[in-house]
Amino acid sequence: MKKIKIILLLLAFGFVALSLNSCGKSETGPIKIGVLLPLTGHQANFGSMEKNSYELARAKINAAGGIDGRQLEFVYEDDTGKPDVGRAGAEKLINVNKVPMISGGYSSSVTFAAAAVAQQYRTPFLVNTGSVDKITQPEAFNLTVNDGAKFYIYRLNPPVSEYASGLEGLLANVIKPATVYIIHENTTFGTKGAKAFQKSSEKLGIEVLNVESYSSGTVDFKPILLNAQKANPDMVYMISYVMDASMLMKQAREIKFYPKLFVGAGAGFTMPAFKDNAGKASEGVISATLWHQTLPIPGAKEYYDEYVKKYGGDGPDYHGAEAYSAAMVVADVLKRCKGDYEKETIKKALDATDMMTVFGPVKFQSYGKKIHQNKMETYVVQWIDGTLKLIWPKDLANADVVYPIDWEKIWAE
Amino acid sequence: MGENKKMIQFTKWEIITLIGAIILPFIFDFSPYIQGLLIFIMLWVILGSSWNLLAGFTGQVSFGHAAYFGVGAYTAGLLYFHFKISPWWGLLLGGFVAVIFGYLLGIIVFRLRGPYFALGTLATGEILRLVFGEEEWLTNGHNGILYMTTWVSKYPYYFVGLALAAASVISIKIIMRTKAGFYFLSIREDEDAAAALGINTKKYKNISMAVSTFWAGIAGAFYMIYMGFIDPEVVFSLHNISILSILVGIIGGVGTVWGPAVGAVTMVFVQELFRSALFGLAPQWFSGLHALIFGVLVIVVILFMPGGIMGDWELIAKRFRKSTRAESEA
Amino acid sequence: MEIFMQSLVSGLLIGGLYAIIGIGMTLIMGVLKIINLAHGQIMMVGMYITWTLWYFLGIDPYLSIIITVPIVFYLGDGISRFLLHPLIEKDSILPENQVLMTVGIGMVLVELARFIFTSDYRSVQTSYNAKSVYIAGISLNYPLIIAFFAAIVLTGGMFFVLMKTDLGRSIRATAQDSDAATLMGISSKRITILTYSIGSALVATAGIFLLPIYYLYPDFGPAFTVKAFVITILGGLGSTVGAIAGGIVLGIAETFGATYISMGYRDAVGLVIFLLVLVFLPGGLKRFTKI
Repeated sequence: MKKIKIILLLLAFGFVALSLNSCGKSETGPIKIGVLLPLTGHQANFGSMEKNSYELARAKINAAGGIDGRQLEFVYEDDTGKPDVGRAGAEKLINVNKVPMISGGYSSSVTFAAAAVAQQYRTPFLVNTGSVDKITQPEAFNLTVNDGAKFYIYRLNPPVSEYASGLEGLLANVIKPATVYIIHENTTFGTKGAKAFQKSSEKLGIEVLNVESYSSGTVDFKPILLNAQKANPDMVYMISYVMDASMLMKQAREIKFYPKLFVGAGAGFTMPAFKDNAGKASEGVISATLWHQTLPIPGAKEYYDEYVKKYGGDGPDYHGAEAYSAAMVVADVLKRCKGDYEKETIKKALDATDMMTVFGPVKFQSYGKKIHQNKMETYVVQWIDGTLKLIWPKDLANADVVYPIDWEKIWAE
Repeated sequence: MGENKKMIQFTKWEIITLIGAIILPFIFDFSPYIQGLLIFIMLWVILGSSWNLLAGFTGQVSFGHAAYFGVGAYTAGLLYFHFKISPWWGLLLGGFVAVIFGYLLGIIVFRLRGPYFALGTLATGEILRLVFGEEEWLTNGHNGILYMTTWVSKYPYYFVGLALAAASVISIKIIMRTKAGFYFLSIREDEDAAAALGINTKKYKNISMAVSTFWAGIAGAFYMIYMGFIDPEVVFSLHNISILSILVGIIGGVGTVWGPAVGAVTMVFVQELFRSALFGLAPQWFSGLHALIFGVLVIVVILFMPGGIMGDWELIAKRFRKSTRAESEA
Repeated sequence: MEIFMQSLVSGLLIGGLYAIIGIGMTLIMGVLKIINLAHGQIMMVGMYITWTLWYFLGIDPYLSIIITVPIVFYLGDGISRFLLHPLIEKDSILPENQVLMTVGIGMVLVELARFIFTSDYRSVQTSYNAKSVYIAGISLNYPLIIAFFAAIVLTGGMFFVLMKTDLGRSIRATAQDSDAATLMGISSKRITILTYSIGSALVATAGIFLLPIYYLYPDFGPAFTVKAFVITILGGLGSTVGAIAGGIVLGIAETFGATYISMGYRDAVGLVIFLLVLVFLPGGLKRFTKI
């Protein structure tokens, strides 16, 4: 039975080698902050846009002298879009890379699962995209709204229930649809987004004809679209990531489904990849968004141009702006720590955050069931002649809303 | 089981391994990261052993063990979610609920043989994944279930996991020395011949299934308690649970008591070795290859060590022992 | 009524596509008696080759059949010759070792694709991608119509090869009883390797027809592997006619399930039918068609 002896030896060797890996932190080297993003898997499109934006911000921060003379470094961990991998990633950042703070967080379910890890290890977590409401609701983590001092999660982006607030304005004042058909991905983001929009519809007096879900990666969306077509809604509201969004619009065009409006709930519908894959069928589609490069926010246009200059392509949408701003908030927070980069100091600095970013003003507030939540406006965009135009609110818009839409004409080859 | 007293005899090395596993954390001061890996090893020991009893010893190659793992996990999770009952009770209950599911699904899949059995189990696992994702009123759907875990320190989980893993291995060691164990083997070798000899194959397949699903359910409940988060895609995953538990068995050695344990250690170790890019010695892109290298390992093991590490070790060890004995006698 | 008709037509067309994916699997399962869990992954490889040819050289996806299919044929040849066939002679406790080998092969193929192409989504944009014809208000998507006719041609072709040629007879003989076939002077090694290669080439063809409709990323194979064995079990092992029938039944059942039950249960519909057939109709539709 020598085998077990040898296996034990191998094991012991392995663990010693593994333990050597975790080295101490230095006082003069770069300050390391963890970033959790989906760099591979079906959300990699978004993850890479956010990573690019983090890197863009890092270069800018370090070129301007870094943090009190020290360089800022982001340690990326790939969550692959899966909650369990995200949790393991967050643990690794905290325990192995020994970062005093985590940023990032893309999908709702991954962010929520990883937030519980950060909370448990009392490590500040600045969420920049994960949008399900409960992420900044302490009750989801067995705390109350009065436990701000014990709650380590902060969020830069608005929760999914507020995504459509800008859209509500457009619908109430300009378009006034009477009925809506909701189609959503069967994920946390999708179901919660659908629920939130049902509430908005109630408020606006829009009748919800049906709510249907699908699983990501579906080849044939025609059954769902046919049912929608039969219901004859004024508008179709869709909560989808980028490839499903493209498939939905392509097949809607194919079956000649012409409601008054196709509206996306952000996510996939504002991505350049949506236009690339949906082609003509992206034309005329309206989407809620959290940001647009033409907004009169200082630095927004510069960020957009720099991104295009460095990475080419069609430039970032709101996801990139969120990431870039999160990086800027991180730098600002660290600067205010005055050399003491411990978790509690960082948390106190986060509490006191009050700054301007390319994404808008950032200040973590308490309201309703939420704490540590940044409050902000949302906007509406539309794909007009192959570019994404800001159409609402009226005073900020760079294009007029195209409505009513002659689908036959704009979807023609 | 008075007559079976002798059956709970352990070899010297088994006792050393167990004691070693107990005192390991006291010798080394492991980082939480390594503690996490150790806990995963324990989890895979339980799940691998579970699969191995049904497939390796009884010859019913299940491709759907995620079904029972998932049911166990959701038993613990839903008790907490709906009734705020601590998932630790689920650890007790998860195994039994999985056994019930195993019995019910067994009514369908045990009508099938060979590759059809494999396909049938695969389908049951996939159907449960879809149902648990869709029935939001019961399972909270794709939102999953979050639970703030009991301890921040991982050592308690390590010892719980170790106790469960040891219990699963020992239980299988005992069963395989009873009459039932011999019937399992005869079913594996030739089901029709076993039936012809008067063995109630249906009954013994169900017994094997019950023990197997019990441990799979326990593994699932333990996963819920330790990870604090489950969703249908995670716990009913065809690749990450069903197929990985097969690979753990294959690498370690199908139809050997200690095979899944060795397989679990090897799998977690190899995956992590490459995921960490050879402990940071290799460039970062290297870590992207960890799954590739694991796939290659699977191919190599099946090609050159069809009995797995433990299964073929006997042959290697025998040769090794012979040569050393020859040397000492000379 | 229009929804019913459109669902029927959509399901029928998708079913044609499924059938092409299934034909390869039915041959492999019929002759090698194994579940090829790398089936979808081999299709993925074929699609990446096609995509590469389109993206870098501008070769039309349908035209690339003449390049992609031979490459995947030889990939299948290599896999079966060096990885699967040697296992037949090896003594192992479980007969499922070959199945598990295909799991390992699948993992390697996916990770290689990820390493070379990253996890980004790829799709081809052609002039006919989104074109449709409309008959009585029902839309028929061009690439799907092409795939449907390809399925009929391929099925017919395979049927002819299996029934009328020496090679086909050898394959059928090996599928029925490989020992007896060996006694009759058929090299079962050659036939199993060839069958796996043909199966791989067929699923690569399916990938080519799927590409203009769908998109491509390294992990998308397993979903189609599952569809392939649902079709195989439905149609009956080794039956090409069964595969096209199984494909169409699956396509229609899924589409109706999605239209009339719930989109979320779409995939479950196929799996439930699959289980029912396994238990209550062993042998699948082949019991009626006999071929």
